[in-house]
Amino acid sequence: MKLSNSKREHSVLRWLGLLRMQVALILFITLIVIGSVLSDVFLTPNNLLNILWAVSVLGIVALGQCILIIACRFDMSVAYSVGLCGIITVVVQNHGVSLFPSVIIGLLSGLLIGSVNGLICVRTKANPFLVTLGTGIFMYATSLAITKSQTVYTPIADFKLLGRAKLFGTVQYSILIFLGLAIILEIVLRYTKFGRGLFVIGLNEKVGTLSGFSTSRISMAAFVICGFTAAIGSLIITSRNGSTVANVGMGMEFDSIIAVVLGGTSLFGGSGGAIRTVVGVLTLGVLNNLMVLMNIPTENQQIAKGTIFLLIVWLDSLLRNKK
Amino acid sequence: MNSVKRYLSVFFKQTPGVLFFSVFIFFSILLKDTFLSIYTLTNIARQVSIDVPIVMGQAIVLIAGGIDISVGSVMAMSAVIVISTQQYGMIPSIVFALLFGVCIGLINGFLVTKAKIVPFIATLGTMSIVRGLVLVTTDQRSIMGTIPRFEILGNGNFWIIPGPFIIAMVLLFILHQFLKKTKKGRNLYALGGDPENAFLSGIPIGRTKFTPYIICSLLASVSGILLASRINSANPQLGMDTALASIAAAIIGGASLLGGRGSVIGAVLGISVLGMLSTGMNLLGLVTYYQIAVKSALFVVVVVIDAIIVSKGISKRRK
Repeated sequence: MKLSNSKREHSVLRWLGLLRMQVALILFITLIVIGSVLSDVFLTPNNLLNILWAVSVLGIVALGQCILIIACRFDMSVAYSVGLCGIITVVVQNHGVSLFPSVIIGLLSGLLIGSVNGLICVRTKANPFLVTLGTGIFMYATSLAITKSQTVYTPIADFKLLGRAKLFGTVQYSILIFLGLAIILEIVLRYTKFGRGLFVIGLNEKVGTLSGFSTSRISMAAFVICGFTAAIGSLIITSRNGSTVANVGMGMEFDSIIAVVLGGTSLFGGSGGAIRTVVGVLTLGVLNNLMVLMNIPTENQQIAKGTIFLLIVWLDSLLRNKK
Repeated sequence: MNSVKRYLSVFFKQTPGVLFFSVFIFFSILLKDTFLSIYTLTNIARQVSIDVPIVMGQAIVLIAGGIDISVGSVMAMSAVIVISTQQYGMIPSIVFALLFGVCIGLINGFLVTKAKIVPFIATLGTMSIVRGLVLVTTDQRSIMGTIPRFEILGNGNFWIIPGPFIIAMVLLFILHQFLKKTKKGRNLYALGGDPENAFLSGIPIGRTKFTPYIICSLLASVSGILLASRINSANPQLGMDTALASIAAAIIGGASLLGGRGSVIGAVLGISVLGMLSTGMNLLGLVTYYQIAVKSALFVVVVVIDAIIVSKGISKRRK
């Protein structure tokens, strides 16, 4: 009797685990079916490409976040580094720096932000969540101080191409960058020592150290990657708008975490992947698109997203504790 | 390096009081009459007293080894509720707001103790949901109160003492007695300091972990009510930086992210330091974004110093 009970529980857990890993895919397909029933324009290639285009910035940011979350760390400052990197780029352009150097300065500032976050967290072992919450607001204040709370416009017309131009007139470059980055990071996660190290220290830092991984170097690198992807996202959103403001990325810290978790990466660390994150991001994008098509006020989205987030994390903790 | 760390830890144990007086004397000398006037000081007292309940709540959660990020949203939503339900009368609207606080506290407590989600992730989720509720109910606009009498709570004066100050002091007395003199209060320290030992000494872990979240959300509601009453209105931007400020104040006041340490008196001194800082910076004519920069930098410094002390404490325990 007891045996069969535990057997049944085991199979329930297996199903729950499977459900957890594929929750984004299931939601994604359901939403697509609902969308195609409710609206004629939903399932057109144009609309689908639009969705991809709309989520590509969040997606790029979420890819960096995903690397950190696998290592059981967080970056709450991404929302404001998306603001700051673009502002730095546009401001140096306004001071006469030409296109390529300014883009490189923008990317470098992302690397710098990532290294500062990483340095503080790694050297002092302070809680990354709280540290980056603080540095994020600090960057927000810096952005406000640089721009005097105004919108800043790029003077270079070609800069806008990065976010708007299409390859062969069909697919925007930002979509290609997003998907390309996802594939590269997936390969890094699966097939390099660094990638394996992320998973190991995400599961258990002590085991990571004992098996010869340098915990501090790996988590430092993860923070730098996250800063860098935020910078790429920042440049794309800035070039797409042709201008930027300090709070352009507001809410992206939470959205990126939701996308990552939705995709099947556990907040407890040690599992997940980049391609999974892409599915999570797409699900959020479809949800957003559907709500717009159905005229549901966007404020409701935050409640929906928060609820989904808590339910999934709950499921994660349930599965973890039963193992 | 080691002596520096020891110095830091000694300083941080005594800090709340030392810091309070040094910041007070600093601004008194720097700004002279503008700072040391009854008007400014009562103003600071009023402003700080509105934040006092929330900070004490955060301190209690931190003592028990948790953290509550959702306080800012709960405060905003309570303000919105107390303003938007005024057609039912003043007392019912206050009761509604307090009930809302208790509900969120129950949810937070459930997520942390029963669903076993890490406190900052769980409260991050509720923060987002409650902020969404705020945006939906206010439709992203300010809402105005209709009962002028309601303003007494936050704006009233008792002789020259601001009304919220009296409420804050009463709450401080009650919570201090609770933490220091009652068994339940001492259990919180035991749980935060060492959960395993707390369990072995027969403390009901689940219940003890649960209560701080209810207390904290309830106190966040009290802050929200006082805030709404002060301006007799509510807007969706309320409480955006409250989570950071309350955590920073509690840590300045001697609490630690590791749990088991801190006091509500320290937390009140901590928020007073922050309150004096922002009033002082205002009087100095510092632009808002520099003020934000100073406060966030202070927050990071406080978290980092706490981490350094904690890691030192752990290595000491092992020896």
